[in-house]
Amino acid sequence: MVIDTLKRLTSGPKPVVLLFVLLFTALYLMGAATQNSELFGRLYSLLLGVNILALLLLLTLIGRNLITLIGQYRENAAGSRLTARMVVVFVILAVTPISVLYYFSLQFIHRGIDSWFDLRAEQALEDALELGRSALDSRLRELLRDSREVGRELAGKPDSTLVLSLNTIRETMDATEMTLLTVNGRVLSSSSLDPATVLPTLPSLAILQQMRHGLEYAALEPLHDRGLHYRIVLSIANPDPLGEPRLLHAIYPIPERIDTLAASVQSAFTKYRELSFLRQPLKYSFTLTLSLVLLLSLLTAVWAAFFSARRLVAPIRDLAEGTRAVAEGDYDMRLPLPGKDELGFLVRSFNDMTRKLSRARDSAQKSQAQAEEQRAYLEAVLACLSSGVFTLNQHGELRTANSAAAAILGIELSEISGLTLEEAALKYPQIEPLLETIASHLGPEHGSWQAEVTLFGEGGRRVLISRGSPLQRGGELAEEHVIVFDDVTALIQAQRDAAWGEVARRLAHEIKNPLTPIQLSAERLRHKYLKQMSGEDAELLDRSTHTIVQQVESMQEMVKAFSDYARPPKLQLIPVSLGRLVQEVMDLYQGDPRLHLSLESRGEMPTIEADVGRIRQLLHNLVKNAIEARTDGNPISLRLLVHCAEKGSCRFVELRFEDSGPGFDEEMLDQLFEPYVTSKPRGTGLGLAVVKKIVEEHGGMIMAENHPEGGAVITVRLPVSVTQRRDIGGEGPLTLTVLNSEK
Amino acid sequence: MASTTPVLKSLGHNMLRPLGWLGLVMLWLAPGVQASDFFITGLHTEVKEGVYLLDADIDYRFTDDALQALSNGVPLTVQVNIEIERVRNWWFDAHVATLEQRYSLQYHALSHQYLLRNLNSSAFYSFPNYRAAVQAMGRLREFPLVDAQLIVPDESYRLLMKAELDIEALPSPLRPVAYITPAWRLKSDWYSWSLTH
Repeated sequence: MVIDTLKRLTSGPKPVVLLFVLLFTALYLMGAATQNSELFGRLYSLLLGVNILALLLLLTLIGRNLITLIGQYRENAAGSRLTARMVVVFVILAVTPISVLYYFSLQFIHRGIDSWFDLRAEQALEDALELGRSALDSRLRELLRDSREVGRELAGKPDSTLVLSLNTIRETMDATEMTLLTVNGRVLSSSSLDPATVLPTLPSLAILQQMRHGLEYAALEPLHDRGLHYRIVLSIANPDPLGEPRLLHAIYPIPERIDTLAASVQSAFTKYRELSFLRQPLKYSFTLTLSLVLLLSLLTAVWAAFFSARRLVAPIRDLAEGTRAVAEGDYDMRLPLPGKDELGFLVRSFNDMTRKLSRARDSAQKSQAQAEEQRAYLEAVLACLSSGVFTLNQHGELRTANSAAAAILGIELSEISGLTLEEAALKYPQIEPLLETIASHLGPEHGSWQAEVTLFGEGGRRVLISRGSPLQRGGELAEEHVIVFDDVTALIQAQRDAAWGEVARRLAHEIKNPLTPIQLSAERLRHKYLKQMSGEDAELLDRSTHTIVQQVESMQEMVKAFSDYARPPKLQLIPVSLGRLVQEVMDLYQGDPRLHLSLESRGEMPTIEADVGRIRQLLHNLVKNAIEARTDGNPISLRLLVHCAEKGSCRFVELRFEDSGPGFDEEMLDQLFEPYVTSKPRGTGLGLAVVKKIVEEHGGMIMAENHPEGGAVITVRLPVSVTQRRDIGGEGPLTLTVLNSEK
Repeated sequence: MASTTPVLKSLGHNMLRPLGWLGLVMLWLAPGVQASDFFITGLHTEVKEGVYLLDADIDYRFTDDALQALSNGVPLTVQVNIEIERVRNWWFDAHVATLEQRYSLQYHALSHQYLLRNLNSSAFYSFPNYRAAVQAMGRLREFPLVDAQLIVPDESYRLLMKAELDIEALPSPLRPVAYITPAWRLKSDWYSWSLTH
């Protein structure tokens, strides 16, 4: 948190601008300090240190910017190259004039400083000092001579009068202070112009040391707060030869005017000498200050270059990123407005563009969704159609086909999509007649057409009614076609069945009526004339009437069978457990020598709604059909498989009869379930027709085929009742019962 | 009174002045190891009238650069630092007193005199030659240190003394040069003196 606050405070232009202002202030103060200003002079080193530290800080700031830029440049970040180029240009633009300015400023400063010092001025100052010194020295010599006189005068005076004498002499000599002391510094007597002076001014230890060697001291000395004075120290004779050697210490003033002038000369000379001595350091100092100013300006310029380049490039970088985002499909990107300049206009235009693109995309998506919805709807409609539908594009390639088409033709939709009719015919030879018919009607001269096509495939012979017409788009005929076809095999079969039913009904009706009178008449003939006849006549009559009666009975059975076929009793549908029913019927054939029967069941066995009697008849007929297929009197094997079969959304119970007989005649497979179609020597030709009728009455279907390994296979599918379909529980799996095991 | 072993005290001892940091940086930048130019000798303390008094002599050996500056009218300021600490065995020493004496030495061209000022007491002396002036500047006699009552018996005390040229008192153009030139960084080692009751 502290680091965040610190970052917030130190980021952005404000702290840097503040730093610059402080730096400039510090530099200004340092400049002032260089000129020996009293106030800033004391702060000079501090200012220097602050400036160096600040410059280091600035350098760090720029270094950080530089590292960031190099990193972005290497990563090829948007805008980094432009930023780098602008920074380089800005820096070159800033450095060149600053460097030139620096060079010439340095030259001017050095020359300026040198020009302060003039040999003649220096000589004049030295001369002035020497002049003053000479003037003062001549006065000093006079004073020394006078002081010696005073010393001699005082030497002869007794100690008791010394104080008075000293006072008088001092006044006479115009001395500021006059003291009589021993060579060890003990004051004997003192007189001062200033009555407030309690302690006399004493010579320093060095002077006393000098006096011990019997020397004199006379010098011009600046006294504290009192300006220049003459100090003279002399040895004087002690009246007591055994006493300590004595000294006269006298301080004489300098006339005020001369003192002022001398102070002025001294001050000017000292200042000049000091400046002269400091010439080189001063140059260094100015150079340092100027260099700091240069560095500050340079670094400021470099930082400003970074800052302004970033500021200038920021909207361009945003635009680059925005463009990239748009290229990647993100139209929701909005860029921040940089200002009201041309870049701002550009960014605003970009935002407008993305907004419009976004709207256009939404609209396109909406349209696409609608189109998808319509397409899905159309596909759903097509899928629900029982008719097969093909569409062909202008190149004659199959473009659309519905699932009914695939079901009718027994093909995979995905495999023919995009193929031409010829290619599809090569892939699926069994539908070639249909494709040829379509191809023959594709010309623009044909318009709408209709044709009946017969196909021969795995499912047997199939009759299709196909209709086609060119597609109309915008009121004009396009080169695309739509073909609709229906499998009418079942319809034709139904019509044929109906016709056969009618034939059977009429036949039964027409034949049955005369049969009873024929039989009754034959029996009456026999009854009346057999007793009256004898011999061969009686035998002939007996045989003839017997034949008539027998044939009539046979015909009656046949008529009954026809009648059963034509006029089935009304169905009594009740929920039936098919498994149990199958088991019951099959139990009846247990022990039948003609048959080896095996019953097999798989999975759960739901109940069906069925007429029990009719289903029994169906089962009997199919078993009989197998028995009748025997060719050599040997028992036939029949395998009955009962299981639940899922087909689409419907559920069926499937009964599969597989026998070991010779199988069906391939040529008869198509008409197998029609009346009077049989290959068996003893068949009536109605058994399978009745079976088919029962299956259709129950809404099921029947199929016949030959097993690849030999034998006939008849498959019956009966629909499961709706309630049962919801509840799959139903009856559990049938237990496998093996009847008439071959053993 | 006690042993007189000169020791180099931690440089951080007198770092209260902010410019010391800059000086430290400059010192670090300077080539070579700085040898001392000022020497403290004859240090002696005694108690008189309830006050600890110090006698010491400081031998100021100014370099030619400094002497040249002096003869050209540049005043040289010398600073004498005295610190008294109570010695603690297991912790930092306790600070008892700090004293600072500053002297300014200047050449007066007209009179050929060397002027010595005690900047603390404003005492003013003039000397006819450099030697006398420097001797006088280095001669500390009966300098009052600390009230004897502040020095607790049975405790161990240490007196530390150092003299150095005050670069900050030099004219500003000279200071940067002075900071980075060994000839201008004149000072003594810290002189340690055991102060006993």
